[in-house]
Amino acid sequence: MDSDIKKKIDLHGVACPMNFVKTKAALASLAAGDLLEVILDEGEAILNVPRSVKEEGHQVVRVENLGETFRVVIRKG
Amino acid sequence: MAEPVFDSAAYKKIGMIQQRQKEYFAMRLRAVGGDLTTGQLRKIADVADRYGKSGVHLSTRQGVEIHYVHHTNLEKARQELASAGVSMGACGPRVRIVAACPGNATCRWGIIDTKTVAHDLDQRYFGVETPHKFKMAVTGCPHNCAKATENDIGVMGAILPRWDAKACIDCQLCVNTCPTKAIVREEGPAGDAARYILDEDKCINCSICTSSCPVSAWTPAATGYNLFIGGTMGKIPRLATLLKRLIPNKEELYRLIEKSLRYYQEHGRKKERFGHTIDRIGVEKVKEEILHG
Repeated sequence: MDSDIKKKIDLHGVACPMNFVKTKAALASLAAGDLLEVILDEGEAILNVPRSVKEEGHQVVRVENLGETFRVVIRKG
Repeated sequence: MAEPVFDSAAYKKIGMIQQRQKEYFAMRLRAVGGDLTTGQLRKIADVADRYGKSGVHLSTRQGVEIHYVHHTNLEKARQELASAGVSMGACGPRVRIVAACPGNATCRWGIIDTKTVAHDLDQRYFGVETPHKFKMAVTGCPHNCAKATENDIGVMGAILPRWDAKACIDCQLCVNTCPTKAIVREEGPAGDAARYILDEDKCINCSICTSSCPVSAWTPAATGYNLFIGGTMGKIPRLATLLKRLIPNKEELYRLIEKSLRYYQEHGRKKERFGHTIDRIGVEKVKEEILHG
């Protein structure tokens, strides 16, 4: 799956809702079905961004705990 | 002229609290679940302008109080408030105004209709005499914004999550966002898909997994009320005891609240909050007697 990732963004330290805005913008540059990798902070970020992404019609396909951050892979809907 | 003497207990009963400025009273108003209409707010402002000091105090339990009302104006002020449907709150050893969060009417996390439950409880119990003060709060979900666990009776909306192996894509978002780590991922035997197991004892019945799961592999298998008893802040704080989880309907919820309140009325000592009665008698014994007695 990792080799299929089209774009990576590191949102460590980026607060809500800017982290979602940046995720959305990154997804906008991709085609439907493409994978985006996002680094998100623990706490609000990992709770809110995946949920908002879902509401926008995209799909979280993988979440890995990296300690204080998470690596989240999203498939554009 | 002699200083007027007031029966402060009688005033407290109707939500009028004597101030340290002895001729003045604070009028505590009854806003169930913190709700007032704009018309009521205008009337309250009008009464505060005329009989108070052009201000109100917001209490920690969603109440509105008009301070500095002279004792000779209390009845006039009360009648004017009543004309707009604003009645008096309560103070002293009795059931207080029921507090509530907005619940599922507007909150995206809300699981239950908190306002209906709060009004039902207010109708049944407001002002009912108890050994010490008695507070109730209704909160829509385990985020617990209305602090159900700090009240003598706390009602909390709750769900039981269920995992659907067929829908799951093994993304692990649930494992990483469950606030109590109640979801555990178990690697399948070689070639088999991983399994997700819910520890129901650890689960606090919130809806984080069901609302964030990208493929609805976690869904609410049941929705109900978690009932807490014996919470209090004050001089000797004590978080509430969970009496029963996932009570499926209002009838059963109200039956258990009735039993809890009666139990406290029968066993509580004067100036002893319900939670301290429970600790004095024993948590397990009290739970058993309320649930099965």
